[in-house]
Order: sequence, then structure tokens, then C-alpha cells
Amino acid sequence: MTEKKEKAKDQVLVVGAGMAGIEASLTLAAADKKVYLVEKEPLFGGKVIKFEEVFANMECSTCMAAPKQQEVLQNENIELLTLSKVKEVQGEAGNFTVKIEKKARYVSLDDCIGCNECFEPCPVSLPNEFEENLGERKAIYIPCPGALPNVPSIDTENCVRFTKGKDCQLCKEACMFEAIDFGQKDEEVKINVGAIILATGFDLMDLKQISDRGYDGKANVYSALEMERLYASNGPTKGKITLRNGKEPASAAMIHCVGRKKVGYCSAVCCMYSFKFIHYFKDKLPEIKLYDFYSDLCMPGKSYQPFYEHLKDKTESVRFHDLKIAHHNGQVRLDFKSLTGRDEKVDVDMVILAPAVVPADGASELAKMLGIEQAENGFFGFQSSDRSPGESGREGIYLAGCVLGPEDIGRAIAQADAAAGKVLALLG
Amino acid sequence: MEKRHIMDRKIGVYVCECGPNIANALDIDRVIEAVSGMEDVAVVERYKLMCSPDGKKYLAGQIKEHGLTHLVVGACSPKQHEATFMGVCEEAGMNPFLMQMANLREQIAWITPDKEKATERAIRHMKAAIRRVRYHAPLEQKEIECNPDVLVIGGGIAGMSAALLLSSPGRKVFLVEKNEELGGMVSRCEKLFPDMVKGSEITEKRVKSLKEDENIEVLTGTVVENILGFFGNFVVTVRERESEPREFKVGAVVVAIGADLFNPGALAEYGYGKIKNVVTASEFEEMNLKGKIALKEGKIPKSVGIIHCVGRKEKGYCSEVCCRAGIKISRYLKEKIPDASVTQFYQDLCVPGSMAQAFYEETRNAGVEFVCTEGVKLSESAEKIQIDHDGKPAIVDLVVLLPAIEAAESTSKISEMLGVKEGKGGFLAEEHEKIGPVTTTVEGVFLVGTVSGPKTVRDTVSQSEAAAGKILSSLVPGRKLETEAKTSKITESLCTGCRTCLTVCCYSAIEYDESRGICKVNEVLCKGCGNCAAACPSGAAVHQQFTPIQIYREMVEVLR
Repeated sequence: MTEKKEKAKDQVLVVGAGMAGIEASLTLAAADKKVYLVEKEPLFGGKVIKFEEVFANMECSTCMAAPKQQEVLQNENIELLTLSKVKEVQGEAGNFTVKIEKKARYVSLDDCIGCNECFEPCPVSLPNEFEENLGERKAIYIPCPGALPNVPSIDTENCVRFTKGKDCQLCKEACMFEAIDFGQKDEEVKINVGAIILATGFDLMDLKQISDRGYDGKANVYSALEMERLYASNGPTKGKITLRNGKEPASAAMIHCVGRKKVGYCSAVCCMYSFKFIHYFKDKLPEIKLYDFYSDLCMPGKSYQPFYEHLKDKTESVRFHDLKIAHHNGQVRLDFKSLTGRDEKVDVDMVILAPAVVPADGASELAKMLGIEQAENGFFGFQSSDRSPGESGREGIYLAGCVLGPEDIGRAIAQADAAAGKVLALLG
Repeated sequence: MEKRHIMDRKIGVYVCECGPNIANALDIDRVIEAVSGMEDVAVVERYKLMCSPDGKKYLAGQIKEHGLTHLVVGACSPKQHEATFMGVCEEAGMNPFLMQMANLREQIAWITPDKEKATERAIRHMKAAIRRVRYHAPLEQKEIECNPDVLVIGGGIAGMSAALLLSSPGRKVFLVEKNEELGGMVSRCEKLFPDMVKGSEITEKRVKSLKEDENIEVLTGTVVENILGFFGNFVVTVRERESEPREFKVGAVVVAIGADLFNPGALAEYGYGKIKNVVTASEFEEMNLKGKIALKEGKIPKSVGIIHCVGRKEKGYCSEVCCRAGIKISRYLKEKIPDASVTQFYQDLCVPGSMAQAFYEETRNAGVEFVCTEGVKLSESAEKIQIDHDGKPAIVDLVVLLPAIEAAESTSKISEMLGVKEGKGGFLAEEHEKIGPVTTTVEGVFLVGTVSGPKTVRDTVSQSEAAAGKILSSLVPGRKLETEAKTSKITESLCTGCRTCLTVCCYSAIEYDESRGICKVNEVLCKGCGNCAAACPSGAAVHQQFTPIQIYREMVEVLR
């Protein structure tokens, strides 16, 4: 019993392998803690790896994330569990018992070298969720070029071997390293840890919930993440910004604060990434006519306003009320009231919506399972000046990143190190 | 010089097929043939998959069997497997820095459709690696003793939070505050947004914990006079008032000196210092904390205007907390003078995050007016204040200005003392705003709170605990620090003492030795960026893994 306890003290569970989870894991590993980093997706890196560039310095986000990801993969103290979910947590600070459901990848992480030869023969094609369904993938796939771990997985919900029971072996035959193993089984992993860090991130609001913003997934009204993938050099158009018919847009409008009223808070990052999109557009299509529809500009801190100043002349800024977006003669029409109350309208080829940041799918279940504080708006923690942001309401469980609410990367990283600090102070 | 290095070299050259990745894209046999006769090359082989367990075993065996002194591996990107092959070298008893990789996969095989061209390029890259590796010298990762104690400068919420999380029996924390009292900005606020918890409650609790903590020494009324040394080994000099300076050693420094408020007197439109009853947010807090919100003549104000963004244009950034601070002030007013009319004059309402908007909406619903305006001009009008905005006047008894947050006066002195540069807005610069928000380019020096820019209390506490986390993980009592092996060196006999290297070093890793008139690299701090080597006019500064001869030989082959 004592032995087990000692072991738990040296081990930590980090849930969610985005930027916050990665940072917390690396800091803990440096202190010689054994870290189990659990990620539900087949790849890790979180939302950031979907972005081509990051505001305000327009740094390449892969260049920021990839070295840290490599460090995780090479660090002997970190065990990355992809395709995995926490199922059960028992015990207390210093000694939690955790059950993790680890889905089979059907491709050996040790044997696969990531040559991608197995994709081509796969007979199944379907929309790629990582590309916000703007591109396609196979049933055996890597979500995007450069994804880590650079090892494909088989999507059993679409592979004909699993759905129809067919004896299709085309991917296995194409693999020269005998890395594909249909015999792999889902596993239950049981671990003992002294502390848990939750870094499960965020989602963007489902735009179909908002009726007056014209989003139907078909017309040329796009979500921010779709825009990110359209501009991404490893994305479905290899970085070419095009409309759904393949043509280049001659005009576009960025719409801030989509869903803000519904969620009741400002999502903190949308103004900044909308400015980033202005940069994206002007970089690829210098002649494009741009509009930026906002209600209040939120660019807190020492760095963000200079970024805006640098871009504001490249767009027409419109401070609006009562905006309605609808399809009109193949274009998108924006009907709105200006600040002075006048009715106005603008027609554009393309609209990019900035949806509210909302708690990640499954957050409530996680909060319930762990018995931690969840605010009415769904985010975790206390939101009080008197408490450390990372406190969850249960000793031994700490929070980092967008589980706490909308944050930029710098804040998420600080929170991750703060959570790691709390763990190290607790476990010694 | 060269002769000594070249003696008895036995270079092993290995080309990884990477399954079909390299094998199909180029003619490996031709590559082998082309490099086989090169000087000092003892053996050239190909292998199916070098990174596999069998491949690594094979490579280690080869090093021992042939008594290899140097190794070249043509395979994938070093980002993928350099660490793997360095590990193999170490296991086989060879200094891992005597290995060089050639990136045949990402840089050639995957991007060169023409097999002939790919083969030629591969030959050039392999030859370059072979010629370069001949000049590699063994390098060593050193370990140094370190002191786990920490100096925290500043006894506000930032410094106190960091000190409390850092304290442990194996680590002493020195908390130095220049004022007589701890608590900083937070203790000077009656309440904090958005939950309106009392400022004094927050600080007093922490002050009590600090004083009870045996591992924390609180030094109030004390200033830091000097800090010398480097990560793990700083020597700090402090002085308490008029007493003798005191010296102690620490391993890390947390800078939590906070920020100041912009002086609105510099801007004529606000009439600050000229029009009576125009006060700043901090003056208002002070008055409120004393228990009575009153005008100069003692009367209770019936109407108050709160002006946002004072100095924003001049500073060039948004100070992040002012909108919420203004909303908080209107809460004070509504609570204490319920019938007073309160109007906020704002440009953009900045209420980011999951709580702030509700705080704003509740306040607005309580009857506080919000006027969006491009700008205001204040003037005196019959004992009252006229606020001109968008061509309209508003008359109020009292005006509260919300001035921008600016870098504290002592920032430059700390910057100079520690070698951490002043960056955007004059605040101290983080290592990286996104992925290194509390570290700096000077290892072992951390920034927390408003010293690196405007911040809420919540984000400040988060940063303090982040710095503590970084220190707890990197400065462990009893553990030694590992230094970077691939550092720069300055040859004493060639150094003219011009100090060009000092100006380009990002890590404050170079010291000037006054008595001998030469510069020296601190091996603990040097991260091997090579700036000094590139800048040195006399060739004294050299990066040990990018020496001129290594680069020259490599380039000659690549460009041939």
C-alpha cells in the first residue's frame, strides 16, 4: 500500500494535449515526474496547430508548437496516450486511481515511420473533420501533413473492415513495415497519480445555433476555424483562399462577437484573430476589399493595439448594431444599423464569422465525474481574484488554459506552468 | 592546429534507406560509391531502417567493431532522430558531438521527383557532412552546483503569491519590498473586480502566511542594489534604509515590481491639476478607502463622470484593466451615494473573458450610464466640470480619470541590473509573449505581474505561480544544473576587448573582464545562438559546433 502511494506521488495525469497540456507536462517532466498526457484525438497539439500564424507577431504556429511536441515525444518522463479518454477517477490528492479508455490505433507507433503509403489504396473517402470538412481523408489517415505523432490511425466508424466486416487489407498490403495490426484491441489503462491537471481546452460555438448570421455550411459564410484551414499551407487548398466554387473572393467581411449575446461574455481573442484574417486576406489577395464589423474593439495589453494600428487602414471598419446576414444573388448581404442608427447594407463575396469560445464538448461530464466547480457558463474554476485561477475546488486537481474561460496562448501557458507549480508544491 | 585533429580519424558513414522513402527516391549505391574513397572514411554502409531497435543495435555494433572516431548518418531530419543517434553514440562509448546527420529524406527524397537529381544532391550533402565532421571536437555537457534559494523583488500580490508557492523546507525565499508595508496596488483598492472581494482581505491573508513561514525572509523598506552571477548562482546585494548593505546568494530571481499609472497632467484636455475635483482612479481609491467620497469643499458629489482611456493614444496600447476598474468605481459610488448619477465615457469597452461582461451588465442595469465617445475635453463651469464629448456637454461634480498603466520608474534600473531588455511599451520583455510569458532571455530571471505589461490580479497571480512552477521544476535542491554543450568560446589571445559580442548576446552570457580587457563567455548562460561568433571582428568568438573551418568545408561540398 505504502509502495503504491509513493509511486502515485511521482506521477501526474494531464488531460488534454493542446498547448496548455503540453507545457504543463514538460514542466512536470523536468522536475522528474512521470506524466501521463491523455489526448482524445489521434494527434496532439490542440487548436493551435490548425492555425497558420498566431497574432500579434504573426509567427508560424507550427514552428511554435512543433518543437514542444517533439520534446514531448522524446521525453522519457512523458507517456502520451492518444485516442484516450479518462473514464473514472477515484481517491484523493496525493493518490488518485484513474481509469483511461485507450482506443486502438491499429497502427503500431513503434513500427510506423509515417511514409503515408497506406492512405492511397484505402477505398473509403470522407470529409476531414480536422480540415473543418473542407477537405477529404481516407479511413486510415493522418489528419493533416505534419500532424504528430506522425502515425496514421484507422477510423473504425468508416473503415469497411469494421463497418461491413469486409476482408479489406489494402492498407496493410501497402505497408512495408508491417505496422498495421487489425488485431489491436481497445484497452483500459489504470494508473496511480498524485495530482491531475485539466487542460481540455475549448470549442467554438456551433454557428447553426445563430439564425441571423447566415451560416449553413454551404454558402460563402465561413467560421473562423474554416478560414484558418483555408489559409493554412498544409490545409485543403494549400493556403489558397477560395470560395466554395473555387474562385477567389473580391470582397470579404469579418464579423466579430458572433454568439456573444447568447453566451453572455466576450471571448477575448476574436477581435485579434479577426485582424489576423485581414492580414491573411491582404497577404494572399492584395486587391481584395475588406470590411471589419465590430461592436467594441477588445485588444488588451501592451502588444495588441499596435497590431491593429498596423492593419486598420487595410479594411473598412464598421461599428454596427442589429446585423443580419443573408444570401443575395450569389453574394452575401449584410443588413445593419450604423452607430448613428441609419439602416445600411453591404454585399460581399465572403463572410468570416468569429464565433464565441465555449467550453469543450464533454466538459460538464468531466466536471461531474471529478466533482469540481463549474460556473453557469460551463467553464471550470472560481473566477475570483482571491483564488488562484488554477484551483478547481478539489485538492490535487488543477486547471489550465481555456477550461477556465477564453484565453490567449500566453495566458494559457502561464496557467499551465502555474498548475504545474501547484502540483510540485503539493507532491514535493 | 589542424594536424592534431586529423590524426587517426576513422569516420563511419551510414545511409538509412528509411524503407522506400530514401531507397526509392535516390540511388543509394551511387552515393556510397561516391563517398567511399574520401579522406578518413573507414566504412560506408546502407541499412534498411536505422532508427529501429535493430538499426540502433547495428549502428552501435559498427562503432565498436570498426573503432570509429566520427560518424555520419544520412537519414531523416535531425529534428526527428538526431537525439536517437546521439544516444547510440553515447551507448557505444563515442562522444555524441562527433556525429553529423545529413537530411536525405525531408530535404532531398521527399522534394526531388527526379531520381538522378536526388542522387546528385544526396552525394553533395553526404560529402558535406563527412568533410564537416572531420573537424568536430568532442563537447561535454557540464553539470554545476546550484543554490535553490530565490529572490523575489516586490511585495505586492505578484511577489507574495510567488514567494508563498516557492517556500519549502529545502528552499529559502527572500522577499524584498522597497516600501515599509507589503501589499502593493491591491492593498490600496477597497475591492477588486469582478467579484468585489476586499483588497485588504486578499493581501492581509497573504502577509500573515508570509510572516508565519519560516522559509521566507521578508525584507521591507529594502532595495536591491546589485545582482551579479547567473542561473543557480546569483549574488544579491540589498540595503535596508541607511544600514550596511547585505549580501546573499540565490539561484533564481523573480521580478514583481509592478507598474505605475500614467500622469494625466501631461494632457491638457483633462485639466488634471488645474480643474478642481478631477482625480485619478488611484486618488479616488485612496479617498474611498479613507471612508468618505467627497468633493474638495467637503460636499458629496451628486454626479460623477468616469473617463476611460486616459493616455491610451500616447502610450499606444490598451491598459486592459481600466474599463473594469471604471465599472468597479461606479459600483462604489452607487453603493455609497445611491442617488448620484454616474456616467462612463468610453471608446471601446474592453471586458474580455468569461466573467467581465456580466459585471458590466449588472452595473449598467443598476443605473450607470455608458457613453461611447471618440474623446472628451474637460473645462471648469461654475464650480462644476463640463465634459465636452461629440459636440455635446455634460456637467458633473466630480471626474475620475482612468489613466493608462505604464512601466514603473524602477524598470530601467532593474533592466540594467539583470540584463533583461525593455520591450514593448517600455515594460520588461518576456522571453516570448506566447510560449514564454514569465521567463526571460536571461535564464533564472522571471517576470510576473504588471512589470511585463498591464494585467488583472487574476492573471498576475497566475504568472506568479507559473514562475514558481518553472523554478520548482528547474532548480531542485540537491540537483545539479546541466549546461548547454554547444556553446561559444572566446579565444583570449585573439580578443581585442571591443565588446561587440556584448551588444549582440541575447542571453547576457558574455562578461567583460575589465582588468584584462577581454570578453568571456559564461558557459552556463550561453545557449549557443552564435550571434557573438558572427559579430566578432577579430575571430576570437567561435561557436564550438559551427567553427569557421566546419562551415567552410561543409559549404564547399554543398555548393560544389
